[in-house]
Amino acid sequence: MKRLALLLFLTIGLASSALAATPEEIVKKSQAAFFYPGKDFKARVMMKLISPSGQERLREMTMLRLNTGEAGGEQKYFMYFFQPAEVKNMTFMVFKYPAKDDDRWLFVPAINMVRRIAMQDKQASFVGSDFTYEDVSGRDLADDTHELVREETLNGKACFVIKSTPKKADSAGYGHKLAWIDKTTWLPMKEEYYDRTGRTVRLFSADEVQMVKGFPTITKRTMKNSQSGYRTEVSYASQDYNVGLEDSLFSERFLRQPPKKWIE
Amino acid sequence: MRKRSLVALSIDYPKTVVFFSVLLALLFLTQFPKMTTDTNPKNMLPATSAVRVGNDGVEKTFGLYEDMIVLGVSHDQGVINPATLAKLKRITEAILQIRGVAARDVASFTTVDNVTAEEGSLRVAPLMTEVPEDEPGLTKLRQALAENPLFINRIISQDGKTTAIYIPLEKGANGKVIADHIREIVSGETGAERYAIAGDPVARDTFGAEMFKLMGLFAPIAGMIMFGVAFFMFRSLFLSMAIMAPAMVIIICSMGLIIGMGYPVHIMSSMSPVFLMAIATDSIHIFNEFYFRFHEKGDRKAAILDTMQAVGKPIIYTDITTAAGFASLMLANIIPVKVFGFGVAFGTMLLLLLSFTLVPALLTFIRLDKVKLITANEDLHTSKTAGFLMNLSRIGSYRPRATLVVGGILLLVAVLGVSRIHVNNNLVEWFKAGSEVRTADRVINQALGGTSLAYVVAGAKEDDFMKSPEAMRYLEGLQRHLEALPMVGKTFSVVDYVKRINLVLHDNDPKFDAVPETREMIGQYLFLFAMSAKPSDLDNVVDYPFRQANIWVQMKTWDAQAMRQVIATMNEYAKANPLPIELKPAGIAYFNLVWNNEVLGDMVKGFLAALLMVFVILIVNFRSVKWALISYVPLLFTILLLYGVIGFAGKDFDMPISVLSCLSLGMAVDFAIHFVGRFRLRRAEATDDESLADSLAWTAARPGKGIMRNVLLFAAAFSVMLFAPLTPYITVGAFIVSMMFLSAIMTIIYLPALITLMQGWLLKGE
Repeated sequence: MKRLALLLFLTIGLASSALAATPEEIVKKSQAAFFYPGKDFKARVMMKLISPSGQERLREMTMLRLNTGEAGGEQKYFMYFFQPAEVKNMTFMVFKYPAKDDDRWLFVPAINMVRRIAMQDKQASFVGSDFTYEDVSGRDLADDTHELVREETLNGKACFVIKSTPKKADSAGYGHKLAWIDKTTWLPMKEEYYDRTGRTVRLFSADEVQMVKGFPTITKRTMKNSQSGYRTEVSYASQDYNVGLEDSLFSERFLRQPPKKWIE
Repeated sequence: MRKRSLVALSIDYPKTVVFFSVLLALLFLTQFPKMTTDTNPKNMLPATSAVRVGNDGVEKTFGLYEDMIVLGVSHDQGVINPATLAKLKRITEAILQIRGVAARDVASFTTVDNVTAEEGSLRVAPLMTEVPEDEPGLTKLRQALAENPLFINRIISQDGKTTAIYIPLEKGANGKVIADHIREIVSGETGAERYAIAGDPVARDTFGAEMFKLMGLFAPIAGMIMFGVAFFMFRSLFLSMAIMAPAMVIIICSMGLIIGMGYPVHIMSSMSPVFLMAIATDSIHIFNEFYFRFHEKGDRKAAILDTMQAVGKPIIYTDITTAAGFASLMLANIIPVKVFGFGVAFGTMLLLLLSFTLVPALLTFIRLDKVKLITANEDLHTSKTAGFLMNLSRIGSYRPRATLVVGGILLLVAVLGVSRIHVNNNLVEWFKAGSEVRTADRVINQALGGTSLAYVVAGAKEDDFMKSPEAMRYLEGLQRHLEALPMVGKTFSVVDYVKRINLVLHDNDPKFDAVPETREMIGQYLFLFAMSAKPSDLDNVVDYPFRQANIWVQMKTWDAQAMRQVIATMNEYAKANPLPIELKPAGIAYFNLVWNNEVLGDMVKGFLAALLMVFVILIVNFRSVKWALISYVPLLFTILLLYGVIGFAGKDFDMPISVLSCLSLGMAVDFAIHFVGRFRLRRAEATDDESLADSLAWTAARPGKGIMRNVLLFAAAFSVMLFAPLTPYITVGAFIVSMMFLSAIMTIIYLPALITLMQGWLLKGE
C-alpha cells in the first residue's frame, strides 16, 4: 500500500513537473534528446532525395558527431561520402557554434584540395537535401520565442505541441514552426514549418524510433518540401553512441585521409 | 414556295411572331447566369496537347514554372547606390509575400546565390544580404556582379544602369493580378528609379482582361452607332429598331447557346456579338427593297410579299455562305475557335429564319402615313444616290476592257504583295506601341538578356551522362551557338555553374574558366555546388539522375519567328556535333510558336474549305457554274487586294489576320450574290428592249443601294474597333471595313464589266 502510494505520488509528481515545464524547457530538453545524446555518435546514413516526379538521388555517408560542449553547445561533425560514385572519398567537416557562423571544410579528392566553405546561412540545404544545417545540428534556443499551444496524442504518443516563432523575421526560412514533442522520449515526432503568410513550407516526420544504448534515436525520418514537392528520406544503419571519438580526428589531415576504422 | 408561305403567315399573325421571337430570346437569356469566362489564351490549346504535356514534363523534371514576370529597375546614374539597393531589397521582400509568387525561386540581388573565393575559402551566399553603405562595399558588389558571367545581362545590365527581378509564378496564378500588386509595391517608392513590368503572363493576362472590357464596351457602342446610322438612312425610329431587333435576338441566342452548352466565354467568342451585329445588317436588303416596293405599290402587305419574293433568294444564299465561312472554323483543332465558328454560324442561320418571320412581321407595324412620307424619295430617277451608283456601274459596262486591264494590273501588284507576307506572331505587339506592356518589354529587352524565355532540353540515353566532360563541352558549344543569334540575349546551363566552381576553387585563375577535364572533377564540383547553393539552382538546370540538362534561353523578342530560329540553330548544331544526346525545345516561347503554327494551320485548312463551300453554294444558288464563277471574282479580288496591302505594309500575317481570312470569305461574296441574283431576275422580268447596260445600271441603283446601305451600316459598326487600345481589334476593324467597301466596289464596277464582256457566254440560253 505504501509502495502504491509512492508510485502514485511519483507519477503525479512527474506529470505535474512536465505540466509545469516552460515551453523553453521543453524545447531545450527536446534539443538535448534530439541533437546531443551521448558523448559522441556514429552512423552510416542513407539519404534519398526524391523529386516530385519520383526520380531519386542517393547520398551515402558515414557521419561522426562529437559533443565538445554541453547540450545546446559546440559540436563537431565529420562526414565521409560513399555515394554518388564520383564523390567517393569526399569528406566534409563542420564545427558547430551556437550564436555564430559554423566553420565548414570540404575535401575535393579530384583536385586534392581542402577548402573552407563560408556559408552565413544555417538555413542552407544540407548536402543538397530538403534538410537544412539547422535541421541536422539544431537551432539556437534563444533565436525563437516558444509557446506551448496544446497537448495532444499523435500516433498513440502523448505530445506537447510547441509553436516556435523566430525573433528576427529573416533569421529563419519560415514564419513559424509547430513541433509535436513526445513527452516520454522528448524527440520531435512531427514538425510543420509555415511561411509568413501561413502556408506550410516543409513537413518533418520521425518515421522510426529505436533505443540505442539507452538513447531513443530517430533512425528513419522524412522532410518534405510542400511547396516544391521534393522530399528527402534519411535512414540510419549501424548507429552507435559513445564509441570513443577523439577530438584530433576533426582535422585537415584526417579530412584528406580519414582513418578506416571510423568510416567503415 | 414554303418560304413565301412562312412570310405570308408571319404578316398575318405578326404579334404572335413577335411574341415567339421574344420568348425565344428570353429562353436563351436564362442561360446567361451560368456564364463562365476564360481569359487565358493558353487554353486555346487543350491541356492534353503535345506541347503543353511536353512543357509540363520539363517543368516537373527541372522544378520550373510555367510563367515568369520580369521587373526591371533602372536608374540613370546606375543602380549600385545605397538608396536604389535599399529599394531593391524592400521591393524583393514585398514581392516574396505576394500570393501566387513562387517565393523560393525569385531571383533578385538579395536572393540569387553567388559563389566566390574569399581569403582561401569558398563562399556561397546571396549576392547581397545587407545593403552596402560605404564606397568599398559598393565597389565590392560592383566587382562581384562584373566578374560573374551568370549575372551579367541577367540581373545587371552591361552599363550597370538596369537590374531585374525575375518572379516565377505558381501554377494558375493570374499574371495581371500579380503585376498589379507589383505596381502597387513600386508605386510606394519615391526616387529617380524607373520600373518596368514585363513577361508573357503580364501581356497574356492583361490582354485577356482588356479584351473582355472592350467587348463589354464596344458591342453596345457598335449597336448604338448602327442604330444611329440606320435612323439616318431610313428616317424612322421604328425601322431602326426593327433593324436592331433581329441582331439582338441572334446575339442573345447564340451566346446563350454557347453558355448553355457549358463552354466558357473565351477570347474568341467574346468577339461574336460584334460579328453577329454586323452580319445582321444583311436584313437591310429587305428594308431597302421594301421602301422601293412600297413607293411603287402603296400597299403594305403586298409590298412585303413582293419584297420577300425579290430578295428572299439572295438573302438565303448570303446567309448560308456567311454561315459556311464561320462553320469552316469548326474544322479547327483549337476548341475556342471551333466554339466561336459554331456560335456565329448558328446565329447566322437563326438570322435567316428571322428574316422570313420577324422582319416581315415587324414591317406590318409601320405606320402607313409615315412610310409614305419617307419613301417618297425612293425613286431611281430622282435619287442622287441612285444616280451615283448607276454611273459607277456604267464605268464597268461602257468600258469593260479598260476596267478589266486596270483590275488585272491591280491584281498583279496584289499578288506581289501577297508574296511578301511574312508569317509571325507576337503577343506583346498586340498592344499599341506606346502602351505600358510594350514599353516595359522594350526597356528590359534593351538592357538585359530578354523577357521571352525558352528552354532547350538535352536528353542522354544513360544516367549521369551530363557529368561527362564531352556532354559539358557539347552544352557549352550549343550555348555559344545559340548566343550568336541576334535575338538571343543570354543563355545559361549547368555548365556555367561547373565552370564557375572550377574558377573559384582555383582562386579565380582564368585558366580554370573552362569545363574541367575529368568526370570526377565535374561530379565533385556539382556535389559541392549542390551542398552549398539553393537546391533549386541545380534542379533548374539538370534532372535528378543527370540524364537531362536544361539550357535557359532568354530572347529579346516575343516573335514566333525568333523561336523558330532557335530551333533551327539547335537542329543544325545537333547535326554538326553527333553525340548520343537528343535536343528538344520547351518553355513559353516554344508554346507560343506551336500555338501560332496550330492556329495558322487551322486557318489555312478552314480557308480552303470555305473557299470550296462558298463556290458550291454559289453553283446551287445560280444553278450555273458560269454565274458562280462570275460572282466569285469580286470575292477573290477583294481578298487578294487586302492581303496584298498587308504584304506591302509589312504587317505580320499573325493570328488575328489568319482568323479573319476565313470569315471574310463568307461575307465578301454577299454583295455579288445580291447583285447577280437580282440582275438575272431583272433580265427575266424586264421588257426586251431594255439594254444590258440599263439592266446593269438598274441593278446597281436598286439592290445596289441596299448594298451601299449595308456597307455603311457594317462599316459604322466595325469602325468602333479602330479606336481599341489593342492592335488585333484595330486590325479586325480595319480589315472588315475595307473588305466591305472593296467588295461593294468590286461588285458594282467589275461585275458589270465582266457581264458586259462575257455576255455571249453568260447569257446564252437565258
